[in-house]
Amino acid sequence: MELKIKIICFIALLVSPIGAVKEFSEFHEELYIRPTSSGHVNTFFQFTTRWHYGDRENLHNTQLIPRPIAETLLLYDVKELHIGLTQGLWRYETFGYPVVDSAPGAEVRAWFAAENLTSADVDDQWTKLASTFSGILCASLNFIDKTNSVEPKYSFRPTFATGSKVNVPQFVRYATLPREIVCTENLTPWKKLLPCNSKQSFASLLNSGYVHNTNYHSLGMKMRTICESHNTNCILEFTETANMVYDPKLLGANGDFSLRRLFGQGLNGHCALAKSSKIYVNLDDQSYDLTPLPMYNTTSKRGGSTSTFGVYDIQRLDGDKLFNIAWIKSKNNKPSILLTPPPPLYAHRYILGHGQERGQIVTQITNKHYHALPIVFQENIPWFVPSYMHTLKLIVQPSNGVEYQIQPRVMHYIPGVQRVRPYHLELLFEIPAMSTVQISFDFDYIFLKWLEYPPDANHGHYLGSAIITTQLPIGRNYTAIPIDKHLFVDSFNATRSSYFLEIRTESLILSLPTPDFSMPYNVICLACTVVALAFGPIHSVATKRIVIEQKDGQPQSLKGKVLQKLFRRKQNNAGNSTKEVEQHEKLLFGQAAADISIRKN
Amino acid sequence: MGLLSDPSLTPRGKFGRTLAKHSGKISLFFYIAGLAWFVCLSHPEFSHGTYLSENALSPGLVDPEIGQDSLRLAQSLYEELQRERTEHKSTTPHAWIAAKMHQIGLETHVHNFTLRYPFSAGKEYHGKNVYGILRAPRVSSTEGVVYAAPYRAVNSVHVDITASVPILLAFADFARKKNYWAKDLVFLVTEQEQLGMHAWLEAYHEGGIRDSPILRCGNLPARAGALQAALNLEVQDLDIDYIDVKIEGLNGQLPNLDMFNLVQRLTSRSSLSSGYKHSPRKKRRSHRGSLEDNLRHMLEMLKIQATGVPNGNHGLFHRYRIESLTLEAVKRTTNTNNNNRYGSGLSLLKTIEGISRSLNNLLERFHQSYFFYILVQNDRFVSIGDYMPCLIALASPMFIKAFLLWLTTTATTDETVSEDDSVPSHDEEKPPIQLPYISVVLFMVSALLLGFLCNTLPFSQHVRDYFTSMGVSTEMSVGLILGVQVLLGTLLPLFYTLPEHGLELLHIGVLIFMGVTLIVTGLLNFALGFILAVIISPLTILLNNEHSKGFRQNLTRLYTFLLNPIVIIYLLILWLTLFEFPELSFAELGMRALKASLDAITFGLMDSIIYGNWLYTAIAAIYFPLWILLWTLSLGRQNLITQLEKKTN
Repeated sequence: MELKIKIICFIALLVSPIGAVKEFSEFHEELYIRPTSSGHVNTFFQFTTRWHYGDRENLHNTQLIPRPIAETLLLYDVKELHIGLTQGLWRYETFGYPVVDSAPGAEVRAWFAAENLTSADVDDQWTKLASTFSGILCASLNFIDKTNSVEPKYSFRPTFATGSKVNVPQFVRYATLPREIVCTENLTPWKKLLPCNSKQSFASLLNSGYVHNTNYHSLGMKMRTICESHNTNCILEFTETANMVYDPKLLGANGDFSLRRLFGQGLNGHCALAKSSKIYVNLDDQSYDLTPLPMYNTTSKRGGSTSTFGVYDIQRLDGDKLFNIAWIKSKNNKPSILLTPPPPLYAHRYILGHGQERGQIVTQITNKHYHALPIVFQENIPWFVPSYMHTLKLIVQPSNGVEYQIQPRVMHYIPGVQRVRPYHLELLFEIPAMSTVQISFDFDYIFLKWLEYPPDANHGHYLGSAIITTQLPIGRNYTAIPIDKHLFVDSFNATRSSYFLEIRTESLILSLPTPDFSMPYNVICLACTVVALAFGPIHSVATKRIVIEQKDGQPQSLKGKVLQKLFRRKQNNAGNSTKEVEQHEKLLFGQAAADISIRKN
Repeated sequence: MGLLSDPSLTPRGKFGRTLAKHSGKISLFFYIAGLAWFVCLSHPEFSHGTYLSENALSPGLVDPEIGQDSLRLAQSLYEELQRERTEHKSTTPHAWIAAKMHQIGLETHVHNFTLRYPFSAGKEYHGKNVYGILRAPRVSSTEGVVYAAPYRAVNSVHVDITASVPILLAFADFARKKNYWAKDLVFLVTEQEQLGMHAWLEAYHEGGIRDSPILRCGNLPARAGALQAALNLEVQDLDIDYIDVKIEGLNGQLPNLDMFNLVQRLTSRSSLSSGYKHSPRKKRRSHRGSLEDNLRHMLEMLKIQATGVPNGNHGLFHRYRIESLTLEAVKRTTNTNNNNRYGSGLSLLKTIEGISRSLNNLLERFHQSYFFYILVQNDRFVSIGDYMPCLIALASPMFIKAFLLWLTTTATTDETVSEDDSVPSHDEEKPPIQLPYISVVLFMVSALLLGFLCNTLPFSQHVRDYFTSMGVSTEMSVGLILGVQVLLGTLLPLFYTLPEHGLELLHIGVLIFMGVTLIVTGLLNFALGFILAVIISPLTILLNNEHSKGFRQNLTRLYTFLLNPIVIIYLLILWLTLFEFPELSFAELGMRALKASLDAITFGLMDSIIYGNWLYTAIAAIYFPLWILLWTLSLGRQNLITQLEKKTN
């Protein structure tokens, strides 16, 4: 396939710069701020650490890279890892494309590669890896196991390089936890992985009180290795990203904003370990005046579109004052509604149908480009949503014209098994120019076992996002970093023949039929009452025994009476019923004159 | 059948014989007991006070933040809208509403729908709904809450509710500036009454994929996840006297009681007079909480529920399991409080804010409180466990009587045999009683077939097209189809002669059929089941196997004739017309009522085609065949024939 050839080219590109450079490690911090056409503000932090560690043994001596990250490379055969913790939804139609895309909730994907690696080994390593990062990031990634992981065949492409000439087996694993809620407890450990203290440098801007008040925030972590040959002369790239979208209307003050207003404080210098610390400001939207003005401007031409960026080099700043940039609505500009063209491709997903019997999951992908686009569509449906692929339909709705049905070019489908593995669907097809494709299939609502419901069962169950990948021929709205580079600044002037784009849909909430959970409680109450009422009589009937007691067999002497009383009490206290009964039986058979009495044990 | 053939239960036993003799009295007793139970429910001893089950709602936990500026915005928008209305006499000012929503900062979309009137071919109605979504910053559009306001054009025959849109927009403007939303807020302005709302909901939940050829809703350009609740506003003016909360939905469905309680709590908190079936201030004082007032409240609720027609746009949400109700803010007519004009408008805004905050807190769908209840007062209700016994009491004599009839039918032959032989030991050699099961079942099936035809013919496109091509009006064609069916049904007992014992067996079958039908109807829509049981049950008492002649039989025949669905509808409408136009002569009244009842049937049919109201289906498919069977019984033709045969023999 064309795609595969491209990947090989990219890997060649990746390996080439390594050469015979000596061991080094460098750290870069970048901040990119872009007011969107809808009036929102997108801020993107990227902290990149690049370490040429050479041989595997050197992984024990870490410098800038956090030790747990290096150790995962020693423990597992992981070569590339992406983790995203996201709150909110990236809205492509108004925000454009993000630098790093991420699904709502938690999302993990990893590539494993080693000689003699089997799929079973990878499954084992995958859950262990997820558990490790669950601890590192304080997220519920430990819930990732075989029941919610899939092995995408077409959707993702590797960005690592083993450099091995032998064909090393490669495995990919992908899982989402759409229910995961991202909070301060994730932000703090995420910040601790940075080489500088979070009180200094760009990380000081990430105050949880402000980060979590945004319309969208996504913490990302990416790790990859690039080796010249197998496990020797390797580079480890570790990138942490934080992507946020602010709504200036919620910040107060008629649409003006500043670093201080966005993050709660100004910037207090740069990280001393950083090789570069730069703020890039998008200047395409001319309706703002910047104070202070950028140190220099740079223009980026990429895929037919031109953007201007203002650059602030924080390392060139001096003084102890907190650095602040303010965006003020320019007065000469009339408040006009900017008609920015929508991005070439976006998608939405929803559930159709009503009632608790049958439903339909529909994904709607819209192509606003004037050429057909090749699409890889991936669905990861949890096991508790039995889906019927014979009902799969791809309907094209041209923006003007009659709708018609198409067939996917390639379909990769692994049916799910209840409580064992999810449904995994990948479709390859071409979306015609200026049209919408509706992908729909039916599913059933099922009852779960009652312990499988979460505590808030009536909230509904989450379905993770679908992923759509494509190769865009133009670079409009596109800001992702090219595969062979690692810094945000590398995306400037990075014209390629095509642009690899990943977009994600909404996650869905599905109200499964829920039993009345108060019913077991009622049953327990009733059953307990019945048991309690019945227990007494049944117990007494079952344990009481008709025995014949000697009435006039008492000793006549005073001494004898006393002795007998004492003896009896002792027996009673011991509570050994069988012995007692035996004794009584002896008595019963031994004595002629007897008297019937009932005795309790 | 072991129970039925148990020898101890034959009327030879003293008990069984006595019971069979008094089956009419037993039925009467149960009938009166059922009605008495219902009346008792209006007593405070039998109803419960309302309470909030869902703790997450915590109404009034936050102080209202909405202030005078929002009310001022509403006022200025109201004035603007009034100016717009002078230019749009019969349409909705879509552009103005969409522009305002856009200005507020909502993601604004327009939804188009088309109704193809199913009868007169070619007639099309186009409609447009405008909606804006406020994307909640805290969540990835997985859940949403709808705030809707119907728009009525100037030339609408209904009450003017123009102020709903400004109130909705003012609230949207307030909500836009807050960052605590955890569910997307959908602000929806619909037109053409319930049709617009129905089309929007269909488009939201069916996505145009399962579009019927009659109502084409298409798809929505944007959604807000799973809708959790909806609030419909019908505001007559910014100066409000009181709020009437409307809850009855399609097919008698009700919103969760928590939702109703929430509204009650919050309106009382913002010192607005509000309630269920609320009345203006003057009437309010006169009677409050009395027994007959409670009973009237309950009966009014049942009356609306029984028709299955929602009394507001909220009623269409219930089918999709979205809890919703309508706040009808009624305009102040008395000028008592002139210096604090619009003060009540602010209270309304505060109430809406409070409701929205509570709904925003909701972690799970409404599931805690009651879904089946009858409101006795604003703060008292009767739960399903308490009101169901009265329906059971009304339906149970049918089963009891059926059983007793079974005993006597099987025994009559027994007795004749034993009288002849006078030797009890011969009993065991008796041939089993031959009851004409097949012919009776065939008769019942043919009656049901007529009901089926009633249900399919008016729905069929071909039949409709045929009548349109013949130039017959819709109402006439529907009337014609149904009239023929009813005539066939009335004449059916004359065509079909039941063999010996057929009538008795039919009687048993009809009683069981009737009882089951009433209970099933009552489970689906209590009000409908109850009202039908009240009017049908007396027949159980009246119909008697021993054919008493004269007055009683004539009464039974008359009553059965009056029970015919078409006759009931006609009489009901005649009654209403009599009140509406007392000046008309009787002949004119009759004609007018005839026309009106044809209209009513057509509307019922329309409701069933467009909205999915099953009242028509239930009446045509179940109750009409039941009527045919009852009619057969009341005529009692078979006996005449057998008597004649006996005479000739």
